[in-house]
Amino acid sequence: MTETNTNHTFNGISRRAFLAMTGGALALASFPALALSDAWRRVDEINAVVGDADPIAQGVNIELPLVTENGANVPLKVGIGRPMAEGEHVTAIHIYAPRNPFPEIATFRFVDGFDVPEIETRIRLNESQTVFVVAELNSGAVLMGERDVRVTVSGCLTQADTYAADSLFETRVRVAESVANGTPLEVLTLINHPQETGLREDAQGNPVPKRLIERLEARYNGEVAFVAEFNRSISSNPYLRFFITPEESGALDLVWTEDTGASAQFNADITVG
Amino acid sequence: MITRRKILKSLGATALAVPALSMPLVARAQGAAGRVVVVGGGFGGATAAKYIKRRNPDIAVTLVEANSRFYTCPFSNLYLGGLRDFESIGHSYDELTGDYGVELVTGWAQDVDGDAHTLTLASGDVLEYDKLVLSPGIDIRWGAIEGYDEAAAELVPHAWKAGPQTRLLREQLEAMEDGGTFILSAPDNPFRCPPGPYERVSLIANYFKTNKPNSKIIILDAKDNFSKQGLFQAGWEALYGDMIEWVSLSNDGRVVRVDAEAREVETEFGVIHKADVLNVVPPQKAGAIADAAGVTNEGGWAPVDPVTFESRLVPDIHVIGDASVAAPMPKSGFSANAQGKVAAAAIVAAFAGEEPSEPSWANTCYSLIGPEYGISVANVYKVVDGEVVVADGGGVSPADADAEFRRREAVYAEGWYDAIANDTWGTVA
Amino acid sequence: MRTQPIMAALFAASVIGFGLAGAVKADSDITVLAGTCYNCHGTEGRSPGSIPSIAGQPYAVLLAQLQAFKAGEARNATVMSRLATGYTDEELEALARYFSEQ
Repeated sequence: MTETNTNHTFNGISRRAFLAMTGGALALASFPALALSDAWRRVDEINAVVGDADPIAQGVNIELPLVTENGANVPLKVGIGRPMAEGEHVTAIHIYAPRNPFPEIATFRFVDGFDVPEIETRIRLNESQTVFVVAELNSGAVLMGERDVRVTVSGCLTQADTYAADSLFETRVRVAESVANGTPLEVLTLINHPQETGLREDAQGNPVPKRLIERLEARYNGEVAFVAEFNRSISSNPYLRFFITPEESGALDLVWTEDTGASAQFNADITVG
Repeated sequence: MITRRKILKSLGATALAVPALSMPLVARAQGAAGRVVVVGGGFGGATAAKYIKRRNPDIAVTLVEANSRFYTCPFSNLYLGGLRDFESIGHSYDELTGDYGVELVTGWAQDVDGDAHTLTLASGDVLEYDKLVLSPGIDIRWGAIEGYDEAAAELVPHAWKAGPQTRLLREQLEAMEDGGTFILSAPDNPFRCPPGPYERVSLIANYFKTNKPNSKIIILDAKDNFSKQGLFQAGWEALYGDMIEWVSLSNDGRVVRVDAEAREVETEFGVIHKADVLNVVPPQKAGAIADAAGVTNEGGWAPVDPVTFESRLVPDIHVIGDASVAAPMPKSGFSANAQGKVAAAAIVAAFAGEEPSEPSWANTCYSLIGPEYGISVANVYKVVDGEVVVADGGGVSPADADAEFRRREAVYAEGWYDAIANDTWGTVA
Repeated sequence: MRTQPIMAALFAASVIGFGLAGAVKADSDITVLAGTCYNCHGTEGRSPGSIPSIAGQPYAVLLAQLQAFKAGEARNATVMSRLATGYTDEELEALARYFSEQ
């Protein structure tokens, strides 16, 4: 887990799994149950994912600035700091900003066996609000965390287009060429793209059409290992740090897909030793 | 308003105007109308000390400051660019001690006991206070960038606190061969003086242009946009052609590792940049005393009630200037001075048993792109529902202004410095 | 122009403008409002440098100038046309009165 100096909403282990793993009241103290506000219940998009589950306010670590001076680009880290039972893992992490015009920010899907549920990205926040993170487990349990962010505009900030149109779809990737067996492999990615929401106007007052990178898929030896589904509130030049856990040497393929169907790719050979 | 000299003459030590005797803390203050200790003699602290005395000279005010002279970050970029000598940005405490009766303690504030209302100095001396004003400015987050620690800063200056670091950077710039590369690493928000890194490269470019015209400047930035960006970039092009290259966050501008010996930096996606002169403006936090006092949040800054600038975490401690969370007000000397006045008014009102007055601040940040090319951002701030907000209007200099407009803003930048230095420390230029 | 959240351009559907300038509170202290002006115009409006002194100028002159700044009609204005818009008419009157009496 990345070391952070921000609030962690430690928590959330289903009672059964927790007892199976620790069986001790001592360990309970390190994962205090924190109250979750009911605010999420008013967000349809969150309800759709939570369904009938009773969300557990434990284990979702959210790192966001308390105050941001640039709502167009807010760094976000999410990790799941909850001990898992044998065979239990996170299948998906969803990020929501209910006071954005479209609350769904992104969904990250973790395939069985690739179970380091930690991601870092950059998001858009339209105004001060509570950001919600929902994690789905394969056991059916749902973990939830929330965090307040105040969005302000620095009097010293001006706005400018931040992506270079002449290098659209250019990608940057940082990934180690080799990794020890069983060790998570960090993959740092960025694609040059405006991530146009379809909600803004250009200088002449004409609407700027929606144009989004909607998906980043990581395949390892041809098998899908990790999927990121991006929505409008991922910042321009979508940035993502995630992990996979390769068990043998092989080929890593990254594929970004735009809503037009256009795509960009990156390939690397990874040695597992 | 009564002038300070009149007040001092007419009241002397007779304490004619002691207000609000009902307050227990006042009773403890042995005849004074209250005891205030101010930590830090910069734009915020010196202003708070002065304006408490202006409003009520019977309040005992002690200023704790480590240095006998204060050098300002504002206009230190002019020194770096060879446009000013270093002493011209230095200020004494003579007006505070001589004209206002502020007691100056030269020392390092080490610890605060908020319950006991005491401040402990590194010397071991303990000062009692009724109200404490912390204006400690920033501290560097050593280690936030791998390889950038205090030892590294002796080779690769940050020069983000004016003093020996500023002189070191100037020496390195002077020693650099023509054709060299100057690299500045700029941090993400929030940090002291949002336009500062960009004014700095501007005035270094101005120095290079006449002295080392084949040199190059690269800004590696942990942000995708910056203060007055459009104006800076247009000014750079107009004055310096392609000498200055800005690498944004999304273009892999964020520095994650510094090799001070080699004067190299590595960015997030693994690119190594080699400099002849390297200036790392690192991530920052509130000055150490704010941490010791327990007034900082997890982000390392001090949340305050914007009406009084009293800490939201520890009563009777006011935190002003860069150390406080006052966004959207920028971390600027102008803001610190304005906040010092608001805190002073609130403290004097509290001793008098009165409600604090509704605050309002302006902030104007001038930046010089060249000696005769000034730009500015100006805003008014108010408090709405307990938060600082930007009032209507405000903004940056027009993009299409003519050379005369830019020249006038450069003149006003100097005028601003003269005025605020006089208002804060009594310095006469 | 800068008073809107930076996201306004990204989410034009939810542009928010602060209509903040409220009336001066009856108990508000004019020296608190005026104090911020000292930073450029000098303590109590007596400038030590190149920015004009405003202390002791006639009330009508100061007020007319502030109103012209706010209306965007002042000639040779730089920052003042941006700052004056942040104050209510009542605040501008109070500031003009205060500095005229210095």
